[in-house]
Amino acid sequence: MKTIKRATILCIFIARLSAVPALCEQPHPSTGSPAAAIEVQMIQPGEINLPAEFQVALYENLVQELQKKGGFSQVYRDGDRNAAGAFDLITLHTTVTGFKQGSELKRDVTTVGGATSITIHCQFTDKEGKVLLERDITGKVKLIGDNLRATDDFAKKAATVAQETLSPDSTSADPKKSGYKNVI
Amino acid sequence: MKFKRFILWSLLLSLGTFVSVSPAQQPAATTPASIEAVQVIGLACVKQNTKGNLKVESGSLTFASSKNTCQVPAASIQDVVTAADSQRVIGGTVGTISRLAPYGGGTALSLLRSKVDIITIQYRDPNGGLHGAIFTMPVGAAESIKEALLAQGAHTSIPSQAKLTSDSPLQSEAMEQTN
Repeated sequence: MKTIKRATILCIFIARLSAVPALCEQPHPSTGSPAAAIEVQMIQPGEINLPAEFQVALYENLVQELQKKGGFSQVYRDGDRNAAGAFDLITLHTTVTGFKQGSELKRDVTTVGGATSITIHCQFTDKEGKVLLERDITGKVKLIGDNLRATDDFAKKAATVAQETLSPDSTSADPKKSGYKNVI
Repeated sequence: MKFKRFILWSLLLSLGTFVSVSPAQQPAATTPASIEAVQVIGLACVKQNTKGNLKVESGSLTFASSKNTCQVPAASIQDVVTAADSQRVIGGTVGTISRLAPYGGGTALSLLRSKVDIITIQYRDPNGGLHGAIFTMPVGAAESIKEALLAQGAHTSIPSQAKLTSDSPLQSEAMEQTN
């Protein structure tokens, strides 16, 4: 009887001890508040014959992803007059360098063919026009989803690059993680 | 005699109905009725891939979903482009799950596709910020929306098909030959 009581007390004691660090590890509010702002220029098709819906989907997805996880305090659209007053403004210029429009039907039937891919040259510049970063980022849809899903893939990768390298709360960039090719 | 009167009365009645119907049809020709559409991306007030009704009235493009109504002034639209595409008849989550159907059932379902029209617009907000929006709709509806928008002050980088044919018949013939 005594041993059971002792064991119970010991268990309760151990459980309390293990709970103390867990209580201490409560998430702290982020101290490094993002300060920089970014202006997203319209996607330039360059020499590529890019359909209008892809151009608009790329731009809109990019703006949304940068707002969601870019780590910038403010995301301005192309031509927004409020951007002129931003203190440390970064401008994102994008030009399409490669585009292969696949087929959703082919992807569904073959599961190996019909992939859609878009390669875009991204250039981040400061207010004076000095290039801060240049990257070639590719958006793909290989199996599930319509062709426009490649634009969403690109936007997520671009936002990850911006967040990892340029935003105030940036961490070390891992090219393998975000799937981009460094140009510089 | 009675037969003749009967014919006369029926003729008069049919004329009466035509007269009453024709003025009601006139406004429908100038402003297209609302078209069922899906807002793929772009409008701030509704989520992506929201179904609703799209129409052009009183100088603006209106998209009305079950929850919200968004308006884009036609004068702020700087580009309207139409295109054609096809999409899976069974889409969304059910479409994704259906891929797992045994004996190639998923593949067979993916062969069921419907043609759609796409309309893409680019417009500026009051601050000058550039926005884009994409809508899909049944085949043949996009061109009428585009023409209505152009008539109300929107701009386009590609003239509408109707304007092309009315402007120069030679140009349209050349286009057909290239196609």
